[in-house]
Amino acid sequence: MKPRANPNWNWLRPEMNMMKNLSVNRDAKWHLNQPYNARHLMFAIAALLILAVTGSRMEVPRMMQETAQGVGYVVGLNEESSVATGVMRIAESIWPLRISEEIEVSRIENFDRNDLPWLSHVEVIESRTPHLNTETLQLEETIESKEVLVKPVGYLAHVLLKMLETLEMALWGTILAVLLSIPLACFAAANYAPNRFIYNLARSTISLFRAIPELVSALFLVLAFGFGPIAGFLALGIHSAGFLGKFYAEDIENADRGPQEALQSIGAGQIKTLWYGVLPQVLPQYIAYTLYILDRNIRMATVIGIVGAGGIGLELKGRFDMFNFDHVGTILVIIFLTVIILDQFSARLRSRLM
Amino acid sequence: MLKFDSVYKRFPDGTEALRNISLHVPKGQFCVLLGPSGAGKSTLLRMLNGLSSPTEGSVHLAGEQITERSVQRLRKRVATVHQQFNLTPRMSVALNVLSGALPQVAHWRAAIGLFPPELRQKACRLLDEVGLTPEHVNRRVSELSGGQQQRVGIARAFMMDPAVLLADEPVASLDPRISRGILELLHRQSRNHDTTVLCSLHQPELAREFGDRIIAVNQGRLVFDGTPEQLTDQVCEDLYHGALAHKHDAPEVDEAACEPELELAAA
Repeated sequence: MKPRANPNWNWLRPEMNMMKNLSVNRDAKWHLNQPYNARHLMFAIAALLILAVTGSRMEVPRMMQETAQGVGYVVGLNEESSVATGVMRIAESIWPLRISEEIEVSRIENFDRNDLPWLSHVEVIESRTPHLNTETLQLEETIESKEVLVKPVGYLAHVLLKMLETLEMALWGTILAVLLSIPLACFAAANYAPNRFIYNLARSTISLFRAIPELVSALFLVLAFGFGPIAGFLALGIHSAGFLGKFYAEDIENADRGPQEALQSIGAGQIKTLWYGVLPQVLPQYIAYTLYILDRNIRMATVIGIVGAGGIGLELKGRFDMFNFDHVGTILVIIFLTVIILDQFSARLRSRLM
Repeated sequence: MLKFDSVYKRFPDGTEALRNISLHVPKGQFCVLLGPSGAGKSTLLRMLNGLSSPTEGSVHLAGEQITERSVQRLRKRVATVHQQFNLTPRMSVALNVLSGALPQVAHWRAAIGLFPPELRQKACRLLDEVGLTPEHVNRRVSELSGGQQQRVGIARAFMMDPAVLLADEPVASLDPRISRGILELLHRQSRNHDTTVLCSLHQPELAREFGDRIIAVNQGRLVFDGTPEQLTDQVCEDLYHGALAHKHDAPEVDEAACEPELELAAA
């Protein structure tokens, strides 16, 4: 802004007089600091040290070397690479995926040859086992034939059923989380907690729930409830109640005070005020949070079975331990597809609600 | 009906919102409260619905003192109409009006939203009285205009057949034409239901038109109490610009900080 030049008024404005004398003082020592100083250098050295120490402990150089070798092998520069052969071996054992299931007829109780299950048939499989004949000292083969019942899509159906069980675990985990977290959230919201003690108790319970990873609590719950989905959905529910409780409580605290005061001032107690003054305000957020937790629980439910807590993870662990990698491949593909489909679905649902 | 007995209110930060207020409002009176922003009007009203309690002195409602013990019972006879309407957004007009009767509804009924038929009829009658049409009933309140929202607020206030109606700047965020409509409605409803009204306003001309009695507050003190005829232009001038402000013996405090509401200055 240009000051209005009015000589008659300049005596009133000392700053105008000063402006006249204002020129660049060439004697003044102007000094602009460099953006970096010794402290920054110290920080950089410390960070590098930490990276160097932890990197060597984590065998980062070996990782890089072997990855480079693997890449070289793929491109054709190297003759051999342990990483590449390992990956190839896994790929070979997984592929082709196996969706069929074979069961020995002799192991099936009350097997009725005239009433086979849908789409299945009986095959005779010959297996040759070489052994040394002690009299002739020659290698001989004994041919053993066994009858098996082949279900062409039996294993796929089995995995899909297990996947359904996993989804059900996630659903019940989420239901449990919602049921647990609603009262917790009411007590952990500063403006609805009956007193300081209950407030702190609820807050710390929520933190505790959040602090126990599902896999850890599932380990213990499996001891208590045995192998199966009970331990799984309990573990999921407890952990996600920690998240939901925190989210819900914060929304209750941040809700618009106006409607709550209106209901309080006519003497509609705390519960009714929460129900009519707060819930309608926060409901869309609550639904969004709950959907996110459901989404997360489905992903967690697929792995939680690895510690024996039911669902597809239990099946995965079993097949992995029996080296049935072609079955493992089927399981992985199903998990992958399910997660992608549900991701799409929940993203769409959430964008519609918000 | 309403009695303030030398009431003082100090906030924890040392602000004196009310100083030595003594006031008696008889039954059925439409009493208008004037005063600049931060004068203590809201604090005065909040004493009556129990959202605030006096530091010194006592407040009586229908001959009974409002204490921590009696407040929950007494506030059921007091309804409030708010400046920002304070309706629950995203809830239907019907439920907002019905929520005005929550204290007399069983918990299980409230939880599933099953209000008894007589309350539903009453809500319909009140919505009709405040000039809303049956099409509005199932709309969300956030879809209505400001004037319509305040009409819903008034319908909600009358759900409990209040003995006292408090209106905290009910028209401060509405335009002059709609303001007049809302005040006419408040006036008519309180006449029909024989309700005592304490209504804070910023427009002296509306106060003169609708009030049976006018009270002015400034800097936490009662500075005027009289009939609409006694509220001359000179009094208004003094109230907002000087002589009645008692500036000389009051410490300079920013009382607006205690009342963080949007307030439109009187024309």
